[in-house]
Amino acid sequence: MKTFALVLVLVVAATMVIGIAGLPPHGDPDGPIHTHVGARYLERGVAETGVRNLVTAVLLVYRGFDTFLEVVVIFTALVAVLALPSATRRPPPARGESTAAPRRGSDDAVPVSPVVFFVVRLLAPFIAVFALASLYRGHVTPGGGFQSAAIIGAMMIALGLVFGREHAARLVPHGAKAWLQALGPLAFAIIAFVGWRLTGAFLGFPADEAAHALREAMVVVLEVAIAVGGAVILAQLFMALDAPS
Amino acid sequence: MSAVFDAVMLLLLIATAVTVARARDLVAAVVTFGLYSLVLCLVWQHRGAPDVAITEAAVGAGVTSVLFLLTIAKTARSERR
Repeated sequence: MKTFALVLVLVVAATMVIGIAGLPPHGDPDGPIHTHVGARYLERGVAETGVRNLVTAVLLVYRGFDTFLEVVVIFTALVAVLALPSATRRPPPARGESTAAPRRGSDDAVPVSPVVFFVVRLLAPFIAVFALASLYRGHVTPGGGFQSAAIIGAMMIALGLVFGREHAARLVPHGAKAWLQALGPLAFAIIAFVGWRLTGAFLGFPADEAAHALREAMVVVLEVAIAVGGAVILAQLFMALDAPS
Repeated sequence: MSAVFDAVMLLLLIATAVTVARARDLVAAVVTFGLYSLVLCLVWQHRGAPDVAITEAAVGAGVTSVLFLLTIAKTARSERR
């Protein structure tokens, strides 16, 4: 068995090395990635989409389908975690345990260090501002919906770790939770049908100069939905795993 | 300089990846994996992909570490021999 594993590893590694050796040199201007659609994106992307950050332009406008399904994949991951019986089961509180007692941290056994508590409290607003800035400037500078979602989600998890899950759960409004979790796929579906109505193509973006504001609005809606939906999904993943079992 | 930086970072990546795979203590594996993500984040930034670097730092080094640790807290700390 061990010899077989070793042979398998060597064969796969050799295949990969041969494959990599056949790639054009890194940064080669004549490489296939720079001569096909990539060249067109670089030449006309800004004019065609009105989005000055080409990464965002490709992600949302040219390759919208990929991003749509990417958002669906993240949502499906959350659904899978929530479907685990241990993630949603809430045992009744043990006898004698006061539910009103203030509890810090997700585990009562280990109190949160005051240093960590202070640093997270101090940094959280700055992290939030950074996330909003990266969302707001996403079509000009590096950043955008996914980055913002990751940063906001990480901030919510950090807050959840030091303040305890009861506090963290309040960051996401309970009534809107189900809708917020599905915000990314929902917004993509709505924008896709709007694009269909406008251009005749599913997830199409109007290309003419006159529709510049509308196109920008569609991109902004998608960005905000990806950011909020992604952040809520990350926070919910944390809550689901952090719940007592 | 640039090539030296890349070489050091890639060697660190390989070293941390091997450490993660060999670690029996899963908490040690998760901490090393966070280090791996951090190094990878620097590589992305160095290769001119700040978008990916931000996501790698937040998700790779931050969120997944927490999720892994929570999972370990609910299951077992050591790999079964």
